[in-house]
This record gives sequence, structure tokens and C-alpha cells, in this order.
Amino acid sequence: MMNFNARLSAVALACAFLPNLSFAADPTLTNPAISAVLDGYYQNAERPMAERVEGFGLGHTELALSANIDDMFYGKLTSVIEVHDGETEVGLEEAFIQTLGMPYGFSMRGGRFLSDVGYLNNQHVHTDAFSDRPAAYRAFLGSHYFDDGVRLDYVAPTDLYWTMGIEAFKGDSMRAEDEHGEREFKNVGVYTAYTKLGGDIGVSSSWMLGLSYLRNENGRLTAHEEHEEAVVAEEEHDHDHSHGARYTGENTYIADFVYKWAPQGNYKYQHLTLSGEYFRVSDYAPLEEHDHDLVDDHDTSKPDAHTGWYLSSVYQFSPNWSAGVRYGQVDTHLLHDEHFDAQKLKETEVSLAWHHSHFSTVRLQYTNQQGTNFDGITDDNVITLQYVMTLGAHGAHQF
Amino acid sequence: MRINSNYLKAGVAALALSFACGAQAKLNIFACEPEYAALSKELAPDTKVYAATTAMQDPHQVQARPSLIAKMRQADLAVCAGADLEVGWLPMLQMKSANAQVRSTDKGLFYAAEHIQTLDQLAQVDRSMGDVHALGNPHLHFDPERLLQVAKALSAKMVALDPDNAAGYESALADFSQRWQAAIGRWQSQVAPLQGKKVIAYHTSFRYLFNWLGMEQVGDLEPKPGLPPSTGHLASLQGRAGQGDVMAIIVASYQDERGAKWLGERTGLPVVNLPMSVGGNDDAQDLFGLYDSVIQLLLGVNR
Repeated sequence: MMNFNARLSAVALACAFLPNLSFAADPTLTNPAISAVLDGYYQNAERPMAERVEGFGLGHTELALSANIDDMFYGKLTSVIEVHDGETEVGLEEAFIQTLGMPYGFSMRGGRFLSDVGYLNNQHVHTDAFSDRPAAYRAFLGSHYFDDGVRLDYVAPTDLYWTMGIEAFKGDSMRAEDEHGEREFKNVGVYTAYTKLGGDIGVSSSWMLGLSYLRNENGRLTAHEEHEEAVVAEEEHDHDHSHGARYTGENTYIADFVYKWAPQGNYKYQHLTLSGEYFRVSDYAPLEEHDHDLVDDHDTSKPDAHTGWYLSSVYQFSPNWSAGVRYGQVDTHLLHDEHFDAQKLKETEVSLAWHHSHFSTVRLQYTNQQGTNFDGITDDNVITLQYVMTLGAHGAHQF
Repeated sequence: MRINSNYLKAGVAALALSFACGAQAKLNIFACEPEYAALSKELAPDTKVYAATTAMQDPHQVQARPSLIAKMRQADLAVCAGADLEVGWLPMLQMKSANAQVRSTDKGLFYAAEHIQTLDQLAQVDRSMGDVHALGNPHLHFDPERLLQVAKALSAKMVALDPDNAAGYESALADFSQRWQAAIGRWQSQVAPLQGKKVIAYHTSFRYLFNWLGMEQVGDLEPKPGLPPSTGHLASLQGRAGQGDVMAIIVASYQDERGAKWLGERTGLPVVNLPMSVGGNDDAQDLFGLYDSVIQLLLGVNR
């Protein structure tokens, strides 16, 4: 095997020099790109599991710094400043390095970064067309899942876009509820694998499909303890806005798609974005002794997974205005004593945004919530008025 | 097992060799805009050239879409305007395509604006000025002399990347230069009537064209670069047009004509839609056709 490796790298080395690229690297100092995101809002109620509270508040206030470190590494630091109960907290959302020079379409990322599972997860929240992530993201990924870990990514040399990658993370924010602090969690808790395919249909349309799997070693609930049923419900009312996932399981499967259309592919004036994702979070029920009880209690159709999905459509009908509709729901199961209670949350949302320029957005969003046993929510209407503005270096957006 | 693994080794090595070296036999060129795809075809007629955008698409606002990542992944040379024109999408393509070859201008990345003197460079840039770039106006392909300078630099880049075919690139450049210079002579004999003419145009898309032709853009449909025409601003342009010295209202093929038409109806000025690049209309099928078409359209107004 050693021999084989040596031979292969000799080939790689030979080819690397073949195109005669022996220019000395010009050590130009790239000024780091500095950007800030200002996000403020008022809303009349709170969406369950979301980060935004009722009344006036600040959303994701971000300060980001990024640059090529040298010709081999790129680095990015994103700090998020949040105010909770009068206290200002500084959080690190991203602090990663990424390789720039690996051959054959490989790249590695290490540090703290957004996982590449699903469609929305690796996008920054300030680029979203709605003020909060879909309920499925809030329930299963803590709105957006970023963590400390590593990623290996590969892009195939094909005309059809095809990428695949694997990640390993610490997984602290994805741990199952552990009220008594007695559980020994694994240090490397989350592993993911994803693949994405994409391309164009004619000149006006583009698409991407993704499939992701997330293995959460710490995702299964601990065997029943006394009074555990109250844990989630009570925390809801003064919850700590941690970015933790609310419903976890050992295995999460995500399927996602996005389709974009613009007349003649010109995104300047009008464009349409359709996207949707489906989540299935399974193997969440405690193992062993309680298995028996779970099967034969009054919840006859014993659920085998939490599920969630959403479908979103956003149309920018002029450079200054865009409108979106989104429907999403989650079906989860909450452990009560020795059985699981099914609960459901449905959200229908419309949003209207005014963009004075590429860098400033003011959004009005209405959400109709319908909950069935969901943390005490029955029906609710949420109206949010929000601004999101970016200043400084304007980073390129993802598809 | 032993034999099998040897076959496997040979197979993998062959595959790796074909991936790594196979592409070098012929340059695979990724052009950010159609004018640079056309120029690349002139300078390297046998290569595979992919244009990331069309003349109907605003190159400021392009999605870093999957098909572009896939094309850039395979490219040996990326040819772009530079001067921050592609700043909203090219860095994302570079990051996502994991192709170190086209990441730096030391290797297979080529920015046209780095090889000429751009117009309207700004010492101080502030967002309240609109979406402006300190590096100057990037729409430089409408200056024939500058484009020739770019062609020479691009040809040298091709030679550096693919020295085995140097003779081919050099003869293609010589051929293009000779035809281009002849065309410049022809165009210059035609455009004399346009000298000193004043126009209102959308954005500074034709800054270099007007500069070359000795024309003057006295009004911009955009109140600030990157912002769409507003009624208040159009009304002020109506006042400007009232002075009677404006020849026409000019929009590029990827720009919305509504503001221009509104103004045209109120001022009686003709609205001219010029192809922004190769493919922008039926006549503009290559760089020569693009220039011919633009000049004929402008002369047509003046007649």
C-alpha cells in the first residue's frame, strides 16, 4: 500500500509541474474582508423553538472577518452578538480554516463551521427570505447547526455538478435531553455524509438536489427518569435560546431541493426560488427496559420517527420588492412517563420584503401557527417587522 | 487477491494520470462573460470554452449556481473582466469548485482589467455612492485598443499554461491582431458622425465605448450605480433631456427597458438597445459583429 501511495503521489507531482507553472507566488497581502450584519425586529409573539423573542429585539448581529491566509489556507471568523435578558453575549458561529490547494477536487475544512447537511443549513441566516428558519430546522438542528469539527469534501470533474462530503463534529448542541446530568456523552457525537447534484435546465432555470445523513451518537433519549416529562415543556417558557436541537435521534435523514428561475437567467430584475426539505429523525426512543412499555401503551401506532418538512417559494418581482410563501410542519413525539405523545406544529407564512439596495432589506412577515399538543401552542398568529442590513465587504452568496 | 490489487493499482494510477494530465492536452477555458469567451475562441480556436453568462444576464448579479461550479472544477484557465465585476459570485465559485488552478492570477486565473488602465478609478469608495468599485469601470471590452492589449496578455497566459502549443497561440494572436487592427481602421472611418454626441444611458455599461467614440453620457437612468431607475430620478432626467442636446437613450441588452421607454415617450428621444456582449443580438455573433452592430445601431439613430 505504501508503494502504491508513493507511486500515485509521484504521478500527481509530475503532473502538477507539467503545465509549467513555475511563477513565483506573488506575496500580495490580501486585506481581510470585514463585514457586519445588523438585524433588528419587532414581533407580537414568539415562534416556538426560535431565537427571536416577543417585542423588540436584535436578531443575528454578526461581525465577520475572512481572508486567504496564504496560498494553502482560507480562514473565516464570524462572531454573533446576542442580547438575552439584558445580557450581551458574544458567540462564535464560525472560526474555521479551509484548504485551498488540495488536488483532484478535494478540500478540507476544520474548526467551527456550519454543517453542509440540507439546503439551508450552510447558508447564513441573514440571506434567508423569512425571519426564522422553518420549524423543522428549529426542531431538529437548533435553527442552524454549526459545531466544532472537520469536513472532507469532494467535487467530481463532471459537467453535472456532483459533490459529496463527510463531516465529524463534537455534537454538544445535538445531545438528547439529559436533565440529571448523569449521562456519559461521546466526545465526537455527530457524523454526517452528504451529496448534492445540480445543473441547469436551459438558460433560465437551475436546480440542485441534496441527500444528507446525520448520525448522532448522543441523540437517543436516556431511559426514563422520574419527572422527565416536564423537562421540555417547562423549559419552553423561559428557554435559554441555546442553539441546541430540541428533538434528536440517532439517525437523521434529510432530502432537499432548490429550483431557481430568472427570465433568460438574468437575476437583476425578477427571479423565483422554490425550495423544500424533508427531515426524518429516527431512533430517539430510550433503549432496553422501557421498550416494552412503549409498544403496548395507548399510543397504538408507535411512532418510529420525528418528521418535518417545508416548502418555500420566494419571488423577487422587481429589484426593490420580493414576496414569499412558506408552509412547514413538524410531527414529533414527546416522552411522557412511559409513552410518547404525538405532537404537531404547522406553520403557514407569508413575507414581503423591500430592498432599497442589495445591502438593505426591510421585511414584514406573518405566520399562522397551528399546534396540536405542541408545547401548549394551539393556534397563534405572529407578525414580525424586521430589518437586515449588511455593511462592509459584501461576500458572495451561495446558490 | 494479490493480482487483483495490482490491477486495481494500475487502474487507479491510470485514472489519476488521465484526470491530472489529460486535461492539459487542450486548455479548458471558463469565461466569466461572453466577450471573454469570444476572445478566448479567437486566441485558442481549438480549445473548449464555456461562457458562464450571456449578454442577456447582468454580470454583476449572477448566481454561483451548480453548473458553474462544475465547469470551474474542470477549468485550466478562467478569464474574467476583474475590477470586482464578479465579486458577488466568482469567489464563491472558486471556493466551491476546489480547483486551485483557477484561484490565483499566478496560475490559471486571468483578469482583463489588470492588463489595462481602467477608467473612473476611485480613491475613496462608500456604499452611499451606490454599488461602485474602487478599481474602476470593468466594462472595458468596448474599447478596441484596450481589448487588443488584453488579447496580448491573454495569449501570453495561454502560452504560459500550455507551452507545448505556444506556436498555435502565437499565430492565432497574430491573426486576430491583424484582423482587429484592420477593423479598428474601418470602424474609425464610420464613427466620425458620433463624435461629441450626448446620450442618456443605463449604468456606466458603455463608458469605454463612449470614451472611444468621443461621445458623452450626460445622464444615467440609475440614480446611483446598482439602484434601479426611480420616478423622481427619471423626472429629473426628463428635465435634462429638455435642453435639446441629447441624441438618444441607451440601454444594454440585459437591462430593463421600462425606465428608458417612459423617458423616451415623454421626451421624444429614441431608445436604443445595444448588445452588451457577443450574443446580445442576432448580428453580434463574435467580437467583430458586436462592434459592427453597436456602431450601426448608434449611426442609425443619428441618421
